[in-house]
Amino acid sequence: MSSPDELLRIEGIRKTFPGVVALDGVDFDLRRGEVHVLLGENGAGKSTLIKMLSGAYTPDAGRIVVDGEEVRINGAQDSERLGIATIYQEFNLVPDLTVAENVFLGRQPRRFGMIDRKRMEADAEVLLKRVGLDVPPGARVRELGVARLQMVEIAKALSLDARVLVMDEPTAVLTSEEVERLFAIVRRLREDGVGIVFITHHLEEIAALGDRVTVIRDGRSVGQVPARTPEDELVRLMVGRSIEQQYPRARPETGEALLTVEGLTREGVFHDVGFEVRAGEVVGIAGLVGAGRTEVARAVFGADPYDAGAVRVEGAPLRRHDVNAAMAAGIGLVPEDRKGQGLVLDASVEENLGLVTMRSATHAGLVDRKGQRAAAARVAGQLGVRMAGLGQHVRTLSGGNQQKVVIGKWLLADTKVLILDEPTRGIDVGAKVEIYQLVNELTAAGAAVLMISSDLPEVLGMSDRVVVMAQGRVAGELTAAEATQDTVMALAVSTRHDSGDTRRDNGTEATGGH
Amino acid sequence: MATDTLKSKPGAQGGATAGLRRLLLDNGALTALIVLVIAMSALSGDFLTTDNLLNVGVQAAVTAILAFGVTFVIVSAGIDLSVGSVAALSATVLAWSATSHGVPVVLAVVLAVATGVAAGLVNGFLIAYGKLPPFIATLAMLSVGRGLSLVVSDGSPIPFPDSVSHLGDTLGGWLPVPVLVMVVLGLVAALILGRTYIGRSMYAIGGNEEAARLSGLRVKKQKLAIYALSGLFAAAAGIVLAARLSSAQPQAADGYELDAIAAVVIGGASLAGGTGKASGTLIGALILAVLRNGLNLLSVSAFWQQVVIGVVIALAVLLDTVRRKAGASTPAAGAGSPGGRRKQAATYVLAAVVTVAVVGATSFLHGGSGSANPKVGLSLSTLNNPFFVQIRSGAQAEAKKRGVDLTVTDAQNDASQQADQLQNFTSSSYGAVIVNPVDSDAAGPAVRAADKADIPVVAVDRGVNKAKTETLVASDNVAGGELAAKTVAEKLGGSGKIVILQGQAGTSAARERAEGFAEGLKAYPGIKVLAEQPADFDRTKGLDVMSNLLQAHPDVEGVVAANDEMALGAIKALGSKAGRSVAVVGFDGTPDGLKAVKDGTLYASVAQQPSQLGRIAVDNALRALDGKKVDATVKVPVKVVTRKNVAGFAG
Repeated sequence: MSSPDELLRIEGIRKTFPGVVALDGVDFDLRRGEVHVLLGENGAGKSTLIKMLSGAYTPDAGRIVVDGEEVRINGAQDSERLGIATIYQEFNLVPDLTVAENVFLGRQPRRFGMIDRKRMEADAEVLLKRVGLDVPPGARVRELGVARLQMVEIAKALSLDARVLVMDEPTAVLTSEEVERLFAIVRRLREDGVGIVFITHHLEEIAALGDRVTVIRDGRSVGQVPARTPEDELVRLMVGRSIEQQYPRARPETGEALLTVEGLTREGVFHDVGFEVRAGEVVGIAGLVGAGRTEVARAVFGADPYDAGAVRVEGAPLRRHDVNAAMAAGIGLVPEDRKGQGLVLDASVEENLGLVTMRSATHAGLVDRKGQRAAAARVAGQLGVRMAGLGQHVRTLSGGNQQKVVIGKWLLADTKVLILDEPTRGIDVGAKVEIYQLVNELTAAGAAVLMISSDLPEVLGMSDRVVVMAQGRVAGELTAAEATQDTVMALAVSTRHDSGDTRRDNGTEATGGH
Repeated sequence: MATDTLKSKPGAQGGATAGLRRLLLDNGALTALIVLVIAMSALSGDFLTTDNLLNVGVQAAVTAILAFGVTFVIVSAGIDLSVGSVAALSATVLAWSATSHGVPVVLAVVLAVATGVAAGLVNGFLIAYGKLPPFIATLAMLSVGRGLSLVVSDGSPIPFPDSVSHLGDTLGGWLPVPVLVMVVLGLVAALILGRTYIGRSMYAIGGNEEAARLSGLRVKKQKLAIYALSGLFAAAAGIVLAARLSSAQPQAADGYELDAIAAVVIGGASLAGGTGKASGTLIGALILAVLRNGLNLLSVSAFWQQVVIGVVIALAVLLDTVRRKAGASTPAAGAGSPGGRRKQAATYVLAAVVTVAVVGATSFLHGGSGSANPKVGLSLSTLNNPFFVQIRSGAQAEAKKRGVDLTVTDAQNDASQQADQLQNFTSSSYGAVIVNPVDSDAAGPAVRAADKADIPVVAVDRGVNKAKTETLVASDNVAGGELAAKTVAEKLGGSGKIVILQGQAGTSAARERAEGFAEGLKAYPGIKVLAEQPADFDRTKGLDVMSNLLQAHPDVEGVVAANDEMALGAIKALGSKAGRSVAVVGFDGTPDGLKAVKDGTLYASVAQQPSQLGRIAVDNALRALDGKKVDATVKVPVKVVTRKNVAGFAG
């Protein structure tokens, strides 16, 4: 219609779920050979929108036009036929099949009814070369790292002759070097005339890669701007207000040491780890992936055992490998894997919030569900959890709101020492700031916070002290004043002698200021 | 439970009809049950009577109670395969301690419940601390529980103490106690699931075990308690089951774990854990009971019944999945998408039509003509054995000749299923009932109920204890056993080594034949019995057991088997030895057995005349119905068939 280059146009799409209007009047279009960024907070409706393109959902109202013709996409087959391929955050690969088998899954070339392995691997090889992936097509997918898995997914999309490639936060799990490599491939695809829908939370990636940006807020498209738009303006469009300060850390007076860790060791995982966290203090733990940060946090909380050392809360030693002892002493853990370890996804907001306090709300074996509901309503209001009601299943909440529920259950339990493991991973700017505010409130009330994060600016912005771990040991401790990107990085790589590891060129998994 | 807030949103049009529609849309199993009840009422005039509905309740009770326990386990993302065995074990322990060892009944009940809890604790321990997959741990308990109940009871049913047997009676002459127990335990299960700490933990553990652990739930201890609760409910189910039959059967509730699991899943629980309700489970159990009852009333052939039950189970769960999917993708009430609603409605209509069609077709295919002919019910212990199939053919031939509507049911060797079937005959006022008891003691209460309703009962092949039957039509098993022993001993010239393959432990035929074997062998001190092992009247098991025995005793010279099927299995195991160096004697004279006698591989079979049994049973039932006098026992002769006289013999 408007342009001969137009591949795809979406007009006035509306989609509702029980109790929620997910999308209400979204417009979007995609041309040949462009990277069109979809920007929006979690829960704004980006995922719902791309699921309309992949056929997972059908719109209640509005039109989808492909090549100037209105289409209905009722399933994966329809979208495949239209040349639309989607790469989700969670990959759709079968771990125990080979790379080639995964690329051609369900469409393996056949000869006399048998799979023609030779041809399949040869075809796969060509595709793998196109995405710059140097693994043998016969390798098992299980053995590949996350970045390579993504390349396999892209190769799979290419094998379908996709003209529209939808990528849902492809950089969220990549190191900066891997991100660069991904960008190179995306640029090459763009030159080949593929239209790419790119979802990201990392604003700096927009200018680096994008051509146009469509911003979605609360289920509506609120603007279409060029990719060179300043970040402040993008944020303002995205959250509907300008964010004054990304890291609003208010530093209260620190008090007594609440959590003391001494000589904590688990053979082969971490060694002689020691630090303390005082009342009113936020201590950040920085380090590379595999430095043992999560393992230490879980050991402190009693989720996993340790071989030697001691954990004290207010001077009293904690029993080893005993979650309930840790909880009784006032420790709470917001785990790294929100969905896998933090939430019962198919239970309601109310039940998830009440999980930790359920025992104390039990009298004579009966749970005081009325009291639990009142408490859940109070804390959900306090945290501003956006939901249809306390009965909504947490699976259907956005990432930021899910995280608020995880934190909320510890707030209800009057936690004194809160361990946050990657508290803002996969969460949008607006929700991040809300979580930082929460950390401020906690410390102002005299609690101690131990925060593990791979987002270096976050560690620097929010911590009063930074403990840097490298190879399972504490490589150093920095005050907020001393801690900078450079000093933290110097410590994080300090005990690494090997030069063969080129996983990241800036030496950290932090991918910059998002 | 979890969706209160969403549900309570005002619907498009308020009022009771909307509420009802919501209830049905929200609960696929309930809809399926209602569709089924409507279909059954339309097809059978006997279905929708108070008596029969109470029957359905009684028949659902044991499955429902077991299923409540299994609900706990399934909600917490586990599985319990042992509930049937544990139920039998608990009941056996009760009867054994009270009846055989004079333990006070109250203490015996406590002991039985403790047994169930202990079995559950062992399951829980293996799963929580031993890290065994629930499937494996409870599969092991399934075997151990069944074995222990056979050990404790020595393979025979034990009469249940009278005071506990009242649990199988009626209250005030109309309210069956099992129904009351079911309702009470259902409420208890609902309370546990909805309100207690352990119940809420089940949902959390089933939904995400790691998240539950990291939120401070003592997952291992909870699992112990969850499986113990399942064991507790299994014990209760076992006691109710045995009370109904006035007898604790070591083989009771065999395979009930699968019914229980089906009931839970039909009721809307997911095997993946995290969802499920007591009310759903009750509905699931009722669906199964309505089906069995209705199909009996409709005289659907025993073989087709199993097909129909399978189809309906699949349909019920399918309905629920479709509903959920529709619920997930249709917008909130009020927004309104006619397409989704229409699709949903179409699914229900389709399900209803299919159910009615399946039930109707099978009943018209096999049902009687509905004329004024006298109706006679025949409940066979099993149809998985040619002997009983021949009884059926004899009975059917005679019924056809005499112009009688004969309904044949198959109890699948399950005493309580047989009690259900007899009850169904009684409540739909059959003229006469012929019963081939799975167990003589266990058939008692149901036959007494028929007596009370003045319906003449004829026993065939096995007697009924503690109840009035017009006559017993049977071959003499003890005499037959003696004959078999004598035949093999004579063949071996009075001295030699033999093995004995016994029938299914706990059945009267196995006991009586074993008694006959022992009695007969007394006269031959030169015969040495190397081994005596049960092979459950089954050809495959006969083959396996004989193969094993051959490893230990390669020098065996004779085999006595308590039926032809096992004898034929043994012959397979013996290979070329059969009929040459080893003499095999069977029992029953089935067509396959007689053929083997002709071929020379089976030396002899003590032949009953099953089709005669069936014929004579129908004849006597009709005489009783006409008020004529019948003899207290009618003995159908048995005779030893060898190669010499096989030609002139026809079963």
